[in-house]
Amino acid sequence: MPAEARKSMIKIKPKKYKTGDIVKVDFIVIHPMDTGLKKDKKTGEVIPAKYIDSITFKLDGKPFTTMKVWETVSTNPYFSVNLKVPGKGKITVEYTDNTGEKNSKSKKLKPKD
Amino acid sequence: MKRRNFLKNLCAVSALATVATPSIVMGKDEPKQKPKGVNAMSYDAALNAITGGKPVADSPKVSLTVPEIAENGAVVPVKVNVDHPMEENNYVKAIHILTTKNGNARAADVMLTPMNGKGYFATRIKLGSTQDVVAVVELSDGTFIKASKPVKVTIGGCG
Amino acid sequence: MKRLLLPLAVTVTVAFAGEQFAMSDADRAMYKEMQENNPAEIYVEEGGEILEEQLGGDEALAKFLGVSEKELPKEIATFPKYVPKLGNVVGLDQVIQAMQVEQGKERTKLKSGKMFSMLAYVKSLANGEIPHIDLNEPHEKVSYDLGKKTFMTKRGGRGLSCNSCHSKDVVGMVLRTQPLPDLGAVGSGATWPAYRMTKSSLRTLQRRYQGCMKNALLKVIPIGSKEMIGLEVYVTKLAEDHKQPIAIPGLKR
Repeated sequence: MPAEARKSMIKIKPKKYKTGDIVKVDFIVIHPMDTGLKKDKKTGEVIPAKYIDSITFKLDGKPFTTMKVWETVSTNPYFSVNLKVPGKGKITVEYTDNTGEKNSKSKKLKPKD
Repeated sequence: MKRRNFLKNLCAVSALATVATPSIVMGKDEPKQKPKGVNAMSYDAALNAITGGKPVADSPKVSLTVPEIAENGAVVPVKVNVDHPMEENNYVKAIHILTTKNGNARAADVMLTPMNGKGYFATRIKLGSTQDVVAVVELSDGTFIKASKPVKVTIGGCG
Repeated sequence: MKRLLLPLAVTVTVAFAGEQFAMSDADRAMYKEMQENNPAEIYVEEGGEILEEQLGGDEALAKFLGVSEKELPKEIATFPKYVPKLGNVVGLDQVIQAMQVEQGKERTKLKSGKMFSMLAYVKSLANGEIPHIDLNEPHEKVSYDLGKKTFMTKRGGRGLSCNSCHSKDVVGMVLRTQPLPDLGAVGSGATWPAYRMTKSSLRTLQRRYQGCMKNALLKVIPIGSKEMIGLEVYVTKLAEDHKQPIAIPGLKR
């Protein structure tokens, strides 16, 4: 799948928050997370390992969480961390997979102060 | 006994499908040679790699939530909360999720910062069989604590 | 068929091997949380985008169905239903196809990822509504009766019907570690399309039922056929009777 086509979602919970609140930042992405141990039912060929291996959560360009991810994580994976809201900003999630594919997704942080 | 045969033979097609081509093949104890994944590593080796051999005590500060029985081994929810401050010089530095029987024991290594506000992480992982999920936590002072919980994985159902 | 009835009667008394596989409250809470982060939501969003780009979105859909945009959620909750200009009881996916034909656009196959996404999006517009099948409408009644008949008819290599495993009498019994569900109580008709964990993808009701038929060694009924639509009408009525609200995308094992 070309990089631009990979679908993902960032959700911030709760929907309404203020500066100083600790919110949940949820990231879901459509990705096969193939382990390299499965065979294609039709062709009998082994499906090569293809899994997200690193993720960086940034706020206005500054990383606040980094992850090393293994193929053990489920297909179409979900990752959730907290963020203490420092004010208005932009959250960006950058991720790469073991085949070198790079993607990113952003969401605005909009506290209702 | 008629009932047993009746129920056993139901979903006959899916029974073969489930056993013959398991969707998760992760180091079960089986007589045949199973293919090793690219990242195969045992739980003990993975734990050692994380802690450098340092002692890791079980701690009630690490709250690990997993289902008792996984509806499906491909998507097992895991949630970790660490009861510890997240201040500049005293914070939860990392949460590592491990499994005890998968061929690759490692699931995720999450490096946190005080910006997170709380030592929390959640995800969903694959479990190839009934085993323990372990959360190993590194604190900023270099010490390690952990919690583990068993998850029953049933391979069943029709299709 | 006495041969089948006896084993089933015996199993009713042995019913609660089921309990060890029934979900604990804590587990139920975990799986409920998962629904709030359902990967299928991405497909629902995608479906909405395709509908918008290709056909004019909610506005065009409301216009096609002859209702206002405000009435759209309640209207969607009555599907599958009789659409006079199509002369048949149809599902929402067939409505989308009809819109495509009307607008001279390429028809998307019913059994395609694109259609599943669009179907999920359209049905999600009715989230929160209790489904409502109008049995006073003669075509709907015919479809419902056909669906019920299909549900009850024993066929295939083992002489099984949907009712063999999903009747009130066997509900809760365990089949290959899974407690059998009462399709009405779990709102089957209101919670598909859903993300299936065993398939890691968005699946539709009719497709799931086809899978179930295969497993029970019944000949598979085609998607969009009178019988399959009837089945969907029947289980949607069951969801209505159990006051199960529409909640798309669902999350299933």
